[in-house]
Amino acid sequence: MEIIVLVKEVLDPDLPPSKFSVDTKNNRVIPPEGIPPVISPYDAVAIEAALRIKEEAGGRITVVSLGNPSAEAVVRKALAMGADAGIVVSDPSFDLEDSYLAAHILTQTIRKIGKYDLILCGRQAVDWDRGVTGPIMAEYLAVPVATLARAIKVSDRSVRVERVLADGHETLEMDLPAIITVSNEFGQARIPSAWGVIKAVKEEIPVWSAKDIGAEDAQNKDNPGEGRLRRLYIPSYERKCEFLTGERPEELAAALVKKIYSRETASP
Amino acid sequence: MTEKFDAIVVGGGPAGCASACVMAKSGLNVLLFERGQYAGAKNMWGGAFFGPQLKELFPNFREEAPVERFVTRHTFSFLTKKGSTTLDFKPAFSGPPSDNGFIVMRAKFDKWLAKKVEQAGAIVVTSMLVDDLLLDGGRVTGVRIGKEEFSSDAVILAEGVNGILAQKAGLCSGVSADNMKQGVKEVIALPKQTIEDRFNVNGSEGAAMEFVGSCTRGVPGGGFLYTNKESLSVGIVVELGALVKNRLKASDLLEEFKEYPDVARLIRGGKTVEYSAHLIPTGGLKMMPKLFSAGVLVAGDAAALVLGTGLILEGANFAMASGVAAAETVITAKKKNDFSETALRDYERLLREGFVLRDMHTFKETPRLLKNTRIYDLYPEVVFEVLENILENDGKPRTKAYKIAGKVIKTRVGFARLLSDLWAMRKMT
Ligand SMILES: Cc1cc2nc3c(=O)[nH]c(=O)nc-3n(C[C@H](O)[C@H](O)[C@H](O)COP(=O)(O)OP(=O)(O)OC[C@H]3O[C@@H](n4cnc5c(N)ncnc54)[C@H](O)[C@@H]3O)c2cc1C
Repeated sequence: MEIIVLVKEVLDPDLPPSKFSVDTKNNRVIPPEGIPPVISPYDAVAIEAALRIKEEAGGRITVVSLGNPSAEAVVRKALAMGADAGIVVSDPSFDLEDSYLAAHILTQTIRKIGKYDLILCGRQAVDWDRGVTGPIMAEYLAVPVATLARAIKVSDRSVRVERVLADGHETLEMDLPAIITVSNEFGQARIPSAWGVIKAVKEEIPVWSAKDIGAEDAQNKDNPGEGRLRRLYIPSYERKCEFLTGERPEELAAALVKKIYSRETASP
Repeated sequence: MTEKFDAIVVGGGPAGCASACVMAKSGLNVLLFERGQYAGAKNMWGGAFFGPQLKELFPNFREEAPVERFVTRHTFSFLTKKGSTTLDFKPAFSGPPSDNGFIVMRAKFDKWLAKKVEQAGAIVVTSMLVDDLLLDGGRVTGVRIGKEEFSSDAVILAEGVNGILAQKAGLCSGVSADNMKQGVKEVIALPKQTIEDRFNVNGSEGAAMEFVGSCTRGVPGGGFLYTNKESLSVGIVVELGALVKNRLKASDLLEEFKEYPDVARLIRGGKTVEYSAHLIPTGGLKMMPKLFSAGVLVAGDAAALVLGTGLILEGANFAMASGVAAAETVITAKKKNDFSETALRDYERLLREGFVLRDMHTFKETPRLLKNTRIYDLYPEVVFEVLENILENDGKPRTKAYKIAGKVIKTRVGFARLLSDLWAMRKMT
């Protein structure tokens, strides 16, 4: 079983809001100094899923991260957890904010890797929460896809997936090769062992550029676009407390209703 | 896996990083464990790095290290409820900044140090709490993390204050609150320009300010304020035993400290972005554990190698210097392939030849003398009152300064007591 897991490096979602700041001119989050990024938590669950499949059915796990060269650290973490090989895909020309482009670049990467039975990724990256890369890649690669997996069982040439639904779950069966996006209900990602980390430190992690994977045209590729980021900002919530006064309950209730419908308190 | 390491270092602070770096550079196969998510994640201090240790180890540190500001101004204030008296030390400054202090934030600085350790060729493993030592007869042969075991010729314990492993190795037997100070600090964000205007510094210049007096309510210790690039570190350091005895909380004292006009004015308008607390082993030579035994050496705070003279607190440079000495000892031991207690005795010799143990000896009485509470509640007031009486002009005929001083001392302290305190203090700083 050849398994490829796609992982993304994100800002630590457990950071206190005070550590965040936004470059409003360029619509970018300014990464807090000194605090390293982490594997997007759902992607870590995808690695866990791959490891459990490997433990059951045997095989080899290759972890791929598209992003900055610094993504090497999250790939190494995946190796420490037990993955067999890692690749970073990075090129200054990549526009990583566009999911279609990201899916295209990753598809090119998969084509270069060549052989695969299963591609796993997290249900969504916790930075933009779009959750579309997996399904778009399935289109590009023309393979079946199941999203929001909470259980995965592979047999010879097919895979059975339990999908999380709003009111329960459904079970699908697909032919391999296939893509699965894994949900947190799958289980906890394991913590790497110290020996795992030591082994991972010594591993070579190649960095593939646009040229290496034949994605030099990534910028020009005709993509439908998914909307443009207009404004990035940290929402601020202001609280005001006001006491309404009045003699009778009816009077107070009327004042309250008036207040609620007034422009001041109406939602922006 | 059964790979054996030449040395395992526990702790990615200044002591651990310095020792791992030196050993790796000399070709040893070194493994460093740090419990934090990254080196520095769990660490805090005032703080400024004093002395040439950094430069000796990393000649290019000025260009590379995440130094917030270079200390070009150092103030010492006596605080009282009525007002303050300050000594403002600002050497005329030209050319490259001197080694009088480099203000750094540990989260960034330790991370940088750990990077240097990796570049030197050691393996750094973070998020790993070493919870036990491997022992063979009385000899330390490695460490244990959960069920995983790691063996090595030597283990360097650089685990910081209150180290449990040094206790497990039988090198020390716990610590007492009277030998500990607790530091609490806030990082308060302010724009760069505001800091430069308020503290009268430019560019990479920075101020280190120390405060002694009523701010600790008679508890031995003091307050501090250091300028970072775009924030201030404001905190107090107070003796743990006395805090408990006086039923005080360090966090309350910090709140009060921030309200003193001397401090309030400087932090005005800033936003607290970080709050942290940490212990400091300030018992001096008397609390120092046994520094080594077969297969194991202790460095830095874990060995209580901290110098608190009452003026400033030096720990990081002692940690680094002791880490280097431990590393050199292991390098020699490796050449002879002898890690017995006798072979590791070199460590103590190196510490004695350098400043670490010499300073600890020179100031061996200081921790005891600093427990004199008059330093904190009485003398700052005396200094203030003397100056108040000298400088106050109420239109009446005046008295000579020494007479004023004499009168204040007589009524507030008593000459005999002052003389005995002064006699004792000559050994202090
Ligand atoms: C408020 C305050 C202000 C200070 N101001 C100054 C100053 O201005 N100048 C100065 O020179 N010194 C100052 N100090 C002292 C200085 O911070 C210490 O002396 C110095 O950090 C000691 O370095 P170390 O490497 O020995 O220990 P630490 O810096 O404490 O490092 C120990 C490391 O070991 C790790 N660790 C511990 N146990 C384990 C384990 N079992 N497994 C894995 N990892 C472990 C910890 O996470 C930590 O990273 C100050 C201290 C405080 C608290």
